[in-house]
Amino acid sequence: MYLLKNLLNIFFSLRTTLWLLGFSLVMLFAGAFIMPAHDEFQALHSSPLFEWIQNQPLKVTWWLWGLIGILSVLTVNTLLCSIESIINKRKVTQWLLLISPQIIHVGFLFILLAHLLSGLGSSQVMAAAGEGSEVKLSGGDTVLRVGDINMKYDSYGYLTDWDVSVEYLSDGNVLHRDIIRPNQPSTRMGFNINVRDLRPYPVEAVLLQINREPGALWALIGGILFTLGIVTLILLKIRMEK
Amino acid sequence: MWILALSFGAYLFALWKRPLLYVGLVLQVVYIFSRGAELGRLPLVGPHDTLIFLAASMAAFAAAFAYALKDRSRFLNSVAVIAALFTAFAMTTPQQNSPLPPVLKTIWFECHVVLAFMSYALFGIAAVFGGVYLKDRQTSFEGLGYRAVLIGYCLFTLSMIFGGIWAYLAWGTYWIWTPKELWTSILFAYYSFYLHARLRQWWIGRPMAVLGIAGFAITMFTYLGVSLLMKSSHSF
Repeated sequence: MYLLKNLLNIFFSLRTTLWLLGFSLVMLFAGAFIMPAHDEFQALHSSPLFEWIQNQPLKVTWWLWGLIGILSVLTVNTLLCSIESIINKRKVTQWLLLISPQIIHVGFLFILLAHLLSGLGSSQVMAAAGEGSEVKLSGGDTVLRVGDINMKYDSYGYLTDWDVSVEYLSDGNVLHRDIIRPNQPSTRMGFNINVRDLRPYPVEAVLLQINREPGALWALIGGILFTLGIVTLILLKIRMEK
Repeated sequence: MWILALSFGAYLFALWKRPLLYVGLVLQVVYIFSRGAELGRLPLVGPHDTLIFLAASMAAFAAAFAYALKDRSRFLNSVAVIAALFTAFAMTTPQQNSPLPPVLKTIWFECHVVLAFMSYALFGIAAVFGGVYLKDRQTSFEGLGYRAVLIGYCLFTLSMIFGGIWAYLAWGTYWIWTPKELWTSILFAYYSFYLHARLRQWWIGRPMAVLGIAGFAITMFTYLGVSLLMKSSHSF
């Protein structure tokens, strides 16, 4: 019982938060020097993080394992500290001041959830294609056909704009037509299809990048919550000082 | 370029005549707007333009923070020296005058970059407050440094969110494993540590001042070191 109480006290402590943030910094610093020095990381985007990491030598991934472990403990610590803060200060009149740091924490946890989901299920496939080429999308019988590739250049020869029309086909039938433009991917069936690169000759061709990113929506929700919380906190602090 | 030379001189001579800091700022704002009008886009690509924007942002934030100070000479002098250094460095780097690639022509990119450099400037202001606190031991300096970090952290968070949205639209993923993203995470974790540490009494004072100074060193490496020395989506 005494041991359990001590353990809970550790998880409820701000001091633990600081240690965990400190350790996560150490892991990130290590990764910042290990990552550029090893080619293994070039393939990190082609498969989910948790699948990739299991097939790599520990000498290049130990900091990522460490970071995952620290973030797991930090998640528990964040949840417990937020709950404790709300319970202890529930009678304060400035409830916005109480709740805004907790909104920041919830936003942070959603961002971690996003990375967890992406780490488990993201994928990235590159495919070179010309006009009329077909690319099979994984996990079904749907095929992506590339239509017209249009590129616009200025008088100096700089590419100023482009668009690529695509069709989704199943058994030869067109399911959907779309146009990919800069910063306007084609999103369908959980895929996010972008044009990574374009080549004007000898024949017009594109390098398609087909992504699946299951954490994207959660990352956006987390980011919005985090921002709402921190903006509210700053505004309240300014108002209190006035 | 002569506007830049004048602004550099104004920042340096602000050590003797403080209003020249504001003259330097106005000259750089004129330079940034004239570059924008000439290029027909936001002039925030490459080290030349970003260093000027960083110097001007630091001077502008310093002017705002100076209102809260009784003795502002050491603070403003330090900012003037840093702004002059950034300006001098910018003058040695080439301008990037080519049109933006289509993928960079989006409001997400513009918000991402502007907010990132404004947050860097605020982290720089916090470092200056840390420095003057270590010298003068006035608690107001340390408190203002904390405020600069808090606002900078908010802008930095927004910048990362806009960057994530842009990356998702441009490349299909909100997170790319490159050294820049990793150093950005380091910066985010570092200032998260800073803000949490300040909730504990032990850290208030000298430790926070030192953390503020070290934070700006990490900021500068994330900005210049990674972009110049390492291969990433943000390389110059």
